[in-house]
Amino acid sequence: MLSIGKVQFATSDLIILFSSIIFTVWLYNVLWFANGQTGEAEILVVQYANNMPLEYSLQEEQLISIEGAIGNTIIEIKQGKARFIHSACRNKFCVFHGWLTIAGDTTACLPNRISISLKGSLTDFDAIAGAQ
Amino acid sequence: MKRHFTTTHEDHRIALLAALAISIHIIESAFPSPLPGVKPGLANVITLFTFIRYGWQTALQVSLLRVVISSLLLGTFLSPTFLLSLSGALFSLGCLTLLQWPFRYFSLLYYQPGAIGYALIASISHMSAQFLAAWYFFIPHPGLFKLFPILITFAVILGLVSGIITQLLLRRIYDKLAKPSCRQAS
Repeated sequence: MLSIGKVQFATSDLIILFSSIIFTVWLYNVLWFANGQTGEAEILVVQYANNMPLEYSLQEEQLISIEGAIGNTIIEIKQGKARFIHSACRNKFCVFHGWLTIAGDTTACLPNRISISLKGSLTDFDAIAGAQ
Repeated sequence: MKRHFTTTHEDHRIALLAALAISIHIIESAFPSPLPGVKPGLANVITLFTFIRYGWQTALQVSLLRVVISSLLLGTFLSPTFLLSLSGALFSLGCLTLLQWPFRYFSLLYYQPGAIGYALIASISHMSAQFLAAWYFFIPHPGLFKLFPILITFAVILGLVSGIITQLLLRRIYDKLAKPSCRQAS
């Protein structure tokens, strides 16, 4: 029993409090920091709206041209990295974001409804995505 | 045509608690929130209080009444907000009942967690259920999971606050009922 001012914590309260703090820290660890560390980026995933994601290998250098919601988008793959190099949208946030280099990196072009992300072979994260 | 309903003492209590929870919910929804999905959740203090003092059946009725009626008053009935609110309320109450079950079954209720422990479990399960419902029904994108730890951090902090409020409320009511003058009156 621990009391701070008028507030009393029973032993079971303290156990629940500490385990929830540990749970939170564990969540940060799994969902934020484990992503870049597990495995090199190997695959580029391109998704347009709710269509099936298209996958491209990062090994071969190529330009991918996709027709989005408002126009054409061109994505470049070079030396194991990927980026938007042209998009029909107005603000070009996707182009200014630059290269995606490590597994888990994501960029989206919302007006054109295209998002790209890099996937490693072993990321924890993709296990969740695959399960849905 | 005139109809007579016979209402029990229990019904009056449920109505009173639900009215309190609804008013708190509506007042709270007038304030802007710092992050979508994060709310102080003070209406859950009433649910928690009801759960601890009167058991899960009463708490279920109060929280269902709270969700349905406050959504009707706020104009979000059967909208995504209503669905999220309902899933959070039902799941958190289910978790509380499940947590209390072994203590009740082995008649160890003296050792059950206090208001703070229940509030933490309730707020974490409420947040998780809402998050999973939002992810499953509305935004099925794995990137949403980056937001989950932040939301859980808020859930722990706000759950601690609402647990402390509930504990003070419970103690105050216990003290009031312990006075002889009050006991005769009720």
